[in-house]
Amino acid sequence: MECRELTEYALGRLLGEAPSRERKELDAHVAGCASCRAELAALEETWETLGADLDLPVTPEFRARTVELLEDETARLRIRSFRPGARSPRVLAQAAAILVAAALGYVAAKGGIGSVTKAGNASASTGNAAPSLPDLSKNPRLTNVSYRTDSDGRVAIEFDATTHRSITGPPDDPRVSSLLAYLLSANETAGEKSRAIELVSQNFGPGAAVASPEIVRALATTVRRDRNPGVRKKAAEALASFRSTAEIRAALLAALANDPNPGVRLVAVDALAAAAKEAPDPKTIQSLREKAFDPSENGFVRARAASALKAIDL
Amino acid sequence: MSVKAWPADDSGDKSLLERLRRGDAGGAEELFERYAPALLKFADRMLSDRESAEEVTQEVFVKVISRAHQYDGRAAVASWLFAIAANACRDRRRRDRRAAVVPLDSVGELPAAGVGAESRLASRERRAAVRKALEGLSEEQREALVLARYHGLPYAEIARVLGISVGAVKTRIFRAVENLKARFSEGEASWNAAN
Repeated sequence: MECRELTEYALGRLLGEAPSRERKELDAHVAGCASCRAELAALEETWETLGADLDLPVTPEFRARTVELLEDETARLRIRSFRPGARSPRVLAQAAAILVAAALGYVAAKGGIGSVTKAGNASASTGNAAPSLPDLSKNPRLTNVSYRTDSDGRVAIEFDATTHRSITGPPDDPRVSSLLAYLLSANETAGEKSRAIELVSQNFGPGAAVASPEIVRALATTVRRDRNPGVRKKAAEALASFRSTAEIRAALLAALANDPNPGVRLVAVDALAAAAKEAPDPKTIQSLREKAFDPSENGFVRARAASALKAIDL
Repeated sequence: MSVKAWPADDSGDKSLLERLRRGDAGGAEELFERYAPALLKFADRMLSDRESAEEVTQEVFVKVISRAHQYDGRAAVASWLFAIAANACRDRRRRDRRAAVVPLDSVGELPAAGVGAESRLASRERRAAVRKALEGLSEEQREALVLARYHGLPYAEIARVLGISVGAVKTRIFRAVENLKARFSEGEASWNAAN
């Protein structure tokens, strides 16, 4: 062994990776080399010193939050994997023929073919052809909810409420908006809420549909009250992508002031700063200033608030 | 040559992953119980922020659920988990770097020589100084060093986790330790004298 190999040999020994031959060579070398002996002592002290850094413990709150999230995720995948597969073409053709015949009979009984559903309107279907949304004012429990955005931009929401239902329509259709707002508020688990928020983010905002006031209200409530930081962050991001309104600004200001999660506060800083660039608002500027100079605030949030203030034309 | 038993129970881990593939949430929970402490402390040392570390740890387990079918069994489950965590930490740091520059005054300064006669204060300062020294390492050096020093991963497993050669792992740890040694010996860690 040579002096320049000391660190490599010593690390091998510290990590339990050095063969016994190397360990013996190291011992023999340092016994006869004072500078390597000092170097080895310094290296071992460095290694020992690193042990002063304590491990971050898993808190009961974090465990409970995560276990709930994992249950949601597993249930979601289970539902997806057990969804019934496509039936055989022959059975489908027979079913389609029966439906067409029934529809023609119905139209004929109503006075002939000629009333065509306006393109773009929401359509609803159920297993037993009930055509409407459930009465959302009665807080029905909607389960097995799934979302899809079709290539033509229409949103499809399927769910079970006594029977299986599917609501399809453009995102700004009042019934789609109402249902989405309801699901944003009524969903119980973090996974379900996240999926509803994701659908909103995909379909509303710049270059897409304008979110209805009830969707904005549901998101604002989620930002303020949801106990899962990931859900609050997603809701804040969705609000941040909308054109700023007094309600959105109020929700984001509340998040910046009170949310315990720095990730949520960062989203709030960005969104508020972007809105203030276009139309400076005294409350926003005051809140950003307080954050930028708050010594107890997270470093990232402080830095972002400070850069945001610089970018706003005061 | 000494042989390290790492991970402790890979066949048990694989059974849990199999349960997870079958949609059994209990598999995910048991994996969480086994690996959350290690992944959380890894993420904490990589990100130096409790909230971010917890979020990344959650992200790892959510990814494990959705990607359980992609696990091919070649690496230990534990290595696979650490690889997901390392990638998630890198993504998070990249995002945060794009978003903001951390002001220097947001990180605690190393204490001046002679400060910290009271032992609790001294040990807190010592911890802060070690953490700051770790933060001073490059991301690559820190990943390799943390996996070796705090998780006891052998070189070969670190190489699998980080997707690099064993030689590159040795080099990164070597440089990390040299950097730390220089910092400590320059007197920045004057808590040695205080203790």
